Amino acid sequence: MRLLNNEHSPAISMTALARPPLPELKTKARWLALLMLAIGLHVFEASLPSLGPWFKPGLANLVTLIALAMMGTRAAVSLSIARIIVGSFFIGTLFTPTFIIAMAGGLSATIVMVLAWRWIPGLSLVGISLLGALAHMLAQFVTVEALFIQQATLYYALPPLLILSCISGWINGALAEYICARLAHERI
Amino acid sequence: MQLRPRQNMFDALKGRWADRLLLLIALISIVSTWLIIQSHIAAGPAMAEIYHGQTLLASYPVPQQGEPAITLQVEGDLGPSDIIIDEHGARIASAPCSSQHCVLSGSHAHAGDIIACVPNKILITLRGSAESRFDAIVE
Repeated sequence: MRLLNNEHSPAISMTALARPPLPELKTKARWLALLMLAIGLHVFEASLPSLGPWFKPGLANLVTLIALAMMGTRAAVSLSIARIIVGSFFIGTLFTPTFIIAMAGGLSATIVMVLAWRWIPGLSLVGISLLGALAHMLAQFVTVEALFIQQATLYYALPPLLILSCISGWINGALAEYICARLAHERI
Repeated sequence: MQLRPRQNMFDALKGRWADRLLLLIALISIVSTWLIIQSHIAAGPAMAEIYHGQTLLASYPVPQQGEPAITLQVEGDLGPSDIIIDEHGARIASAPCSSQHCVLSGSHAHAGDIIACVPNKILITLRGSAESRFDAIVE
């Protein structure tokens, strides 16, 4: 958007505003709506009672998957980063170890989902979400082991958490598939 | 990739054959790894190992029923954490971190369980089993 000076009038004319095209505005509005939803879910998940150490249902990741399916790679990656930064700001963990772990998990999950979306034929959003959930959990453990507690014994706790990730990833993927199909049907 | 129109949530939960194959491969891999880890760490008497970062600070046997609890304080990056090891397992009683996830996770007693306080860089791992310890006394 750019303001143009009118030489004949000292006041800035409102008609001189260069407006972006409507489809571009719609895309931005849709992305922002998804971001608000993702931040809301991020904060909601943080307030849930812990279902076990380091385990969350991954509802915020569901929004990243919907953004990937409906708007593409760039929208999904930017949404994931923005959601973790703003969400962490609201729950008071910005730039703490929790933030670093969440960023590593969220970004890894998004990258794996993008790669699966582009390169693995035959997978639906359910399979893509499953891979994202597994990548999220693995990345969290690798980050903790690399940066905070340099003990391989940490990985003893990984298998049961990966099984829980399979379950949550599958359910989130089914939800994403259902929501995307409904939105496409409604032409939103 | 094309999205298939779904009639209801139940259809979406079924996934495609490729999704189901992926789930099967993932579950087989995870369960196999879990069994290998369990066979490795379940041997021997029940022990609680306490680490700060890369350093093993202490290793204590988990007390049996009727035996006195072990209470200790370890110094982490943020400050002291109080740890209690009793017949119910090991737990962090107090920690200087803000989230308190480690304290809220409670007691853990099974081989392979971990309690981690990431901000304070304290890790407690449990290995071995009470049955193994009883066998050792008989011998």
